[in-house]
Amino acid sequence: MFWRRAAHGRVGFRRSLPELGLLLLATLVLLEGSVLPLGAASSPETGITPGAGVSHGHADKNHSETKHKKPFPVLGLNYDSVKTPFEISLWVLLASLMKLGFHLLPRVSSIVPESCLLIVVGLLVGGGIKLIREEVPPVLDTKLFFYCLLPPIILDAGYFLPIRPFMENLGTILMFAVVGTLWNAFFVGGFLFAVCQIPHASLSHIGLLPCLLFGSIISAVDPVAVLAVFEEIHINELLHILVFGESLLNDAVTVVLYHLFEEFSEAGTVTVLDGFLGVISFLVVALGGVLVGAFYGFVAALTSRFTYHIRVIEPLFVFVYSYMAYLSAEVFHLSGIMALIACGAVMRPYVEANISHKSHTTIKYFLKMWSSVSETLIFIFLGVATVEGPHQWNWVFVTATVILCLVSRVIGVVGLTFVINKFRMVNLTTKDQFIIAYGGLRGAIAFSLGFLLDIEHFKDMREIFLTAIITVVFFTVFVQGMTIKPLVELLAVKKKQEAKRSINEEIHTQFLDHLLTGIEDICGHYGHHHWKDKLNRFNKKYVKGFLIAGERSKEPQLIAFYHKLEMKQAIQLVESGGGSKLPSAMPSTVSMQNIQPKNQPPPPKPTERALPQLTKGREEEIRKILRSNLQRTRQRLHSYNRHTLVADPDEEGFQDIILKKQKMMELDRKIKEMANYLSVPSHPKDSPTMSRARLASDPQAYNIKLPAGGVPTIQVDLASPQSPDSVNLLDEIGKAEQKEDSGLMMKPPESNGPEKAGEKDGWRDQQKLTRCLSDPGPGAEEDEDEPFLP
Amino acid sequence: MGSSSSSLNNVPDGQQLMQETGFSAAHLLRLYERFKFLDKDNRGHLRSEDFEAVPELSENPIGDRIVGAFFLPGQETVDFSSFVRVLAHFRPTEKNRTRAGAQPEPANSRNRKLKFAFRLYDRDRDGKISRTELLQVLREMLGMQVTEEQLQSIADRAIQEADLDKDDAISFDEFRKSLEKVNIDHKMSIRFLE
Repeated sequence: MFWRRAAHGRVGFRRSLPELGLLLLATLVLLEGSVLPLGAASSPETGITPGAGVSHGHADKNHSETKHKKPFPVLGLNYDSVKTPFEISLWVLLASLMKLGFHLLPRVSSIVPESCLLIVVGLLVGGGIKLIREEVPPVLDTKLFFYCLLPPIILDAGYFLPIRPFMENLGTILMFAVVGTLWNAFFVGGFLFAVCQIPHASLSHIGLLPCLLFGSIISAVDPVAVLAVFEEIHINELLHILVFGESLLNDAVTVVLYHLFEEFSEAGTVTVLDGFLGVISFLVVALGGVLVGAFYGFVAALTSRFTYHIRVIEPLFVFVYSYMAYLSAEVFHLSGIMALIACGAVMRPYVEANISHKSHTTIKYFLKMWSSVSETLIFIFLGVATVEGPHQWNWVFVTATVILCLVSRVIGVVGLTFVINKFRMVNLTTKDQFIIAYGGLRGAIAFSLGFLLDIEHFKDMREIFLTAIITVVFFTVFVQGMTIKPLVELLAVKKKQEAKRSINEEIHTQFLDHLLTGIEDICGHYGHHHWKDKLNRFNKKYVKGFLIAGERSKEPQLIAFYHKLEMKQAIQLVESGGGSKLPSAMPSTVSMQNIQPKNQPPPPKPTERALPQLTKGREEEIRKILRSNLQRTRQRLHSYNRHTLVADPDEEGFQDIILKKQKMMELDRKIKEMANYLSVPSHPKDSPTMSRARLASDPQAYNIKLPAGGVPTIQVDLASPQSPDSVNLLDEIGKAEQKEDSGLMMKPPESNGPEKAGEKDGWRDQQKLTRCLSDPGPGAEEDEDEPFLP
Repeated sequence: MGSSSSSLNNVPDGQQLMQETGFSAAHLLRLYERFKFLDKDNRGHLRSEDFEAVPELSENPIGDRIVGAFFLPGQETVDFSSFVRVLAHFRPTEKNRTRAGAQPEPANSRNRKLKFAFRLYDRDRDGKISRTELLQVLREMLGMQVTEEQLQSIADRAIQEADLDKDDAISFDEFRKSLEKVNIDHKMSIRFLE
């Protein structure tokens, strides 16, 4: 078949690529298997040779083990000392190549979710190693799992957690996480105990408490598995956040139940007091974890405020502080996962305002990279650990477990939804419930917890438990994972909307938010919006000022996205040949004259005039940017796919803009030398967004040419032959010209009409930045005294 | 709750308001108590100063618009019926309601909610949101953080998007169309008013 395809020429060649990939993978697997025994075999040898060499050196001294002189070893083999890092690297490499491989096989990956394929690979590798060495390395070591593999995934999830929908559905999520998990644990544990009592099942040695412990291990929905499967099915955001949020928050419950039952299994009995203490312990674990995480998050945000001079280590702070949060929580037996989520979510808004664009990209990429690799490794190790065992297959127990898990999940979800719907604005439909129930996947966390079980105390039970856990995990990942996609499509669940969110929607929804808050205030009801508003205001007034450096703390989201939009436009116009020539150093060539004539003809209707150079296609692009940039502020979720970063639309052009800007700044300096009464501060501490703001929209440059009643939009200026960056220069020149005309006074523009009041106020900000220190002029000072907001 | 029916008699036009707005007796009572609380001088009607006494409202960027919505055009005071009628817009929409054709559209229908919001924009009540009106709203919401140019551009683009008949203003139908994908019931309902 290979040759027949090759006969088709190009097409055949392309088709043979997957086969090549498979070959490559197979080779690597074999390599993996063979290196490890090689390592074991060579270590004793290498022990001798250097020993011989050394002892030979001491031959003249007291003892000489060997008399004959060996030739100096030109090429030696010393596998032992690099064994561990080497093997780790091999595993990581295997994981990464697997990921590559799956994308070369699109047909397979559309049917089978990646997680299943990875487990299969793990099984193969494990089987291969077992064949070669008769012994499989214990790869799913609990320490390795909980301290190395799990944190990146959780941090990635927490850092990019869509806060708003999460908070809006927090009640529902908590219900599912806490009550649902408790229900599952007790239901499964209790019924399993009943099953164990069946006389012929040879399970009677399993007591109630071990059964409950097992129930608590198996009942927790696993975030890794959920993430892996759900992101391929592109379900709507509400369901995604519900199941995912549940999987994150049930960690606290799992931790408490696990420790509780483990303690009591040794003690043998449970009293009411213990139960009560358990409840308290849960609160402590959950809230404590969140507090620890939030604390570290604030410290990280504060640190990032001062990293202006050493940008390169900014990402490091983010990662290390988060990891510290996780470890600190683990020290106190608090919920590390919740700490990590809280840390990431808390630090993100402040850190992102403080750090450079590049650091932001670095953090994004590193988090995605680590979490991808981690996830892949986890699934592979799951496969390997399955091969390793220890196993004890007990038909009754295993089947009972699987069935009970399914049943309890369904009952739990249905029952909880019934209660929850009474409190929700937007009810959960039957389809939603089905997806939530079906999406309750178990994964590696359950397996690791099972592994953690003390071998002493659970002598005969541990193997049975582990086998059952593995079976459930396999069942959920394979069966449920594979069938959820067709089922979703069958039920026609509302997929995430690729909707266009227009600027109108943005404005109006923000308006409606304010309206609703106001009405709530009038009614005297502290509703949802009121607390949100209060928190926002507190945030803006105190917290942001403290944690964010400089002027950046004042920028609302709407403006930040608008800057990006303008930036994109600027790039497009520049690329389309709108003018990439930089003005020469002489100010005379760059003057208002080039711009003013554009405004002489009466401005036609805005629909034609406003976007002169943008075709329909470009307009669509702008809208796309609008939408994608507003997702942070608005209700509508962007269903994030972990393997594809949110595209930064202006990233490509950014480099060019930066370069041009640097050139412009040099020109700035030259001009300043010429006109040294210009004491404009050079905005050294601008965030990228602020400098972009200065770049693309400068009121001075515009207001000078403002005709009465006309609307000189930004696009008009960009249509001019100068590059958008030259606006910066124009700014300087404009001031220079103004100064020549009217001494040291900065006059507000001569424009008139009803917009004047608004413009003056809009001026104030810019004037703060650009005002000549010596004499602002009376006009400007007037504006200072007027309060803008009534 | 036992005394609610007797207290309802104290509420002016209680029964009629219940029918008209769909509020339950308990809710109406609660709103009446709130009304009396706001009416500090016990006049039986509210003036704009009474509204401004609500502290959070002064921080609200569109606070004065909201207050203005309670007052019928030309009137300086708000009596309880007007108060309740405005708040009736914010009840969650009932689903699966079949109403006889003769009944007027309930205040909390989607259309009425949108119309209420529209009137907040369209202060001069000419049926359109002109560019100036939109600019005013934007200025109020975005405050000092935006330059005038940016405001103009945002307003431009908004009108450009929504304006279908090219009259440089947004009519109610255009407004409604631009919000067709937004869950208005969710955005304009207060849960406790159910």
